[in-house]
Amino acid sequence: MPSTQPMIEARGVQKWYPNGFHALRGVDLSVSKGEVVVIMGPSGSGKSTFIRTFNALEEFQEGSISVDGIALSNDLRNIDAIRCDTGMVFQQFNLFPHLTVLENLSLAPVVVRKRRRSEVETQAMALLERVGIAEQASKYPGQLSGGQQQRVAIARSLCMEPRILLFDEPTSALDPEMVGEVLEVMRGLAAEGMTMVVVTHEMGFAREVAHRVVLMSEGQIVEEAAPETFFTNPQHERSRQFLAQIL
Amino acid sequence: MTPIQTGPESGTTPPLRPARPAPESVQPNWAGALRQELFASRTDGLVSVLLIMVILAAALGLLRWALAQAQWAVIQANTSLFAIGRYPVQQQWRLWLLVVLVAALSGVSWGLLRAFPRADRSGEIWPFNDRLVVALLGFLAAWLPAALALGLPLQLRWWVITALLVTMRWLAGHWGRSLPSRLVKLVPLSWPLLYLFGMVLIAGGLGLPRVPPSEWGGLLLTLLMASFAILLSFPIGVVVALGRRSSLPLLRWSSVLYIEFIRGAPLITLLFLGQNILGYMLPGGWAPDRVWRAAWVLTFFCGAYLAEAVRAGLSAVPPGQLEAARSLGLSMPLALQRVVLPQALRIALPAAVGQFISLLQDTTLLSLIGLLDLLGTARTVMANPEFLGKNAEVYLTLAVLFWCCCAALGLGSRALERRLDPTHSPV
Ligand SMILES: Nc1ncnc2c1ncn2[C@@H]1O[C@H](COP(=O)(O)OP(=O)(O)OP(=O)(O)O)[C@@H](O)[C@H]1O
Ligand SMILES: [Mg+2]
Repeated sequence: MPSTQPMIEARGVQKWYPNGFHALRGVDLSVSKGEVVVIMGPSGSGKSTFIRTFNALEEFQEGSISVDGIALSNDLRNIDAIRCDTGMVFQQFNLFPHLTVLENLSLAPVVVRKRRRSEVETQAMALLERVGIAEQASKYPGQLSGGQQQRVAIARSLCMEPRILLFDEPTSALDPEMVGEVLEVMRGLAAEGMTMVVVTHEMGFAREVAHRVVLMSEGQIVEEAAPETFFTNPQHERSRQFLAQIL
Repeated sequence: MTPIQTGPESGTTPPLRPARPAPESVQPNWAGALRQELFASRTDGLVSVLLIMVILAAALGLLRWALAQAQWAVIQANTSLFAIGRYPVQQQWRLWLLVVLVAALSGVSWGLLRAFPRADRSGEIWPFNDRLVVALLGFLAAWLPAALALGLPLQLRWWVITALLVTMRWLAGHWGRSLPSRLVKLVPLSWPLLYLFGMVLIAGGLGLPRVPPSEWGGLLLTLLMASFAILLSFPIGVVVALGRRSSLPLLRWSSVLYIEFIRGAPLITLLFLGQNILGYMLPGGWAPDRVWRAAWVLTFFCGAYLAEAVRAGLSAVPPGQLEAARSLGLSMPLALQRVVLPQALRIALPAAVGQFISLLQDTTLLSLIGLLDLLGTARTVMANPEFLGKNAEVYLTLAVLFWCCCAALGLGSRALERRLDPTHSPV
């Protein structure tokens, strides 16, 4: 069960893209340690933009975000520290195609955390074992299926021993028969008490694993509720429209 | 597409069709393929026969000329001039030493490449192509020095050097794996060191007497100029390509200015311009004479074209790669160095090698500013009354030499490309 210690605190976040588009219009969100928050919302509502501000892949203009007690500012040292503690899993996997699976996992711990390669590789093998693809360790990402690639991507994030994991539509680029194996890994992580923010439209996952579901629309959070309430008795008109569309 | 049948194979559903061998036309069979390529129809056959006859006639004519009519004495008498120009005789042992070192290191590197195949492959230590190359080297070592009418001691030296290369290749291939990994990691690093040491050997310094660039010539000068320009243009190309995509306006605009200035002028103009103004533009010791000025012009020229190749490579790497690297905590320099550049350079490699090959050929322009590169040497030889009218022999030799160098560059790069390609095997 989540504790009350906040891991992510976003207050009044405003974001304009360089072309003037107002992508985030005052967003507040607080995520406790061990909590799993699922963000839903129609396409273009700013889910990706919002989740990417947490590890400074997007900048924002107004408001404040602090991650694990460190305020996101323009100070590069803070940003690098936060990125080391915050893993991110992308829709398109973004594995490094020129490195083997094992090298994908060990790159960051070795060059960023300056840990011994042999020690990192032992840990990496254990992680690959856990996501069920240890036998693929010396293959290149291009030789794996989509589901296997996404599991490698999760293991790659885990190898940095993050305190928070961010997922941006991790199963949207997968063929239907591979969605299950990725969600299974995510379920396991949630059960172990990992703090997770997940953008996804997988209703089953949200219902079963999320502690809270958040609905975004036009750069704002319009509803925030426990999954049962959200799916059975949504309060906001936008939520009802959205659920009608995806059900 | 055929519909996929699912469901249990019970009595009512028909069983799935088993795979059967591919029909004749799909299977590789070179005799059949040749017939299909060349003689598929009557017109195809006619055109093929005609073309084959034309090619054969030309080749036979050339061969008859080369063996019966041509007088190769012009090459035999000037071998040393073509190879190293007027490099002083007492100092030539330095060049021999360099050749020995290059042969040994090539052999070691080649063997190690086979001893350490890519992680996902099981490599053969002596693949067919390698045995072919060794046979070719042996043939060249046996035939070429004799054909050039070199004295026996010189012939012997070339045999020893070839034997050294092959032996090193053999040793490294078989025992490379039992070497300590620190030693193996030193091998790629030893190439730039050897290059610097080679420069010292050629030019003098560190106690060796100086041999001024005006005494370098022939193949030595051509290879030196080309390799200098290739090696130094590489960092220039990468930095300028990154600068062109930088968010700092000054950096971006100076990169664009540099690229456009160089690409907007013919090389020969730049070479003449460089002879006159580089002395004012570069720090004192960098461009003291005509050879070094020309070397810098070639370098900056190649750098601009290379920057465009690298830029194309950079834009072909999906932005998600940089984001993933940054989200793992890699700083910008680390992300570029470990994630983006390896992919970008791999993509840029074919274009870059094309650039290097044309640079090698462009070194012949040096003869127009009075340097004695291969072509410059050839022109002095042909101007010698003793060898009047032997242009065909000289030009053919030059063409074959350039062709060999370019082919080696091309083959090497293709091998490198294959080795670097992680998506070589299909999913
Ligand atoms: N670089 C950009 N410049 C300008 N506008 C952008 C940029 N990136 C995104 N946007 C706009 O910002 C809005 C929010 O985009 P975002 O990617 O966050 O949406 P999303 O909720 O993740 O949608 P999806 O479900 O399609 O991924 C969209 O309207 C998009 O067009
Ligand atoms: Mg999105």
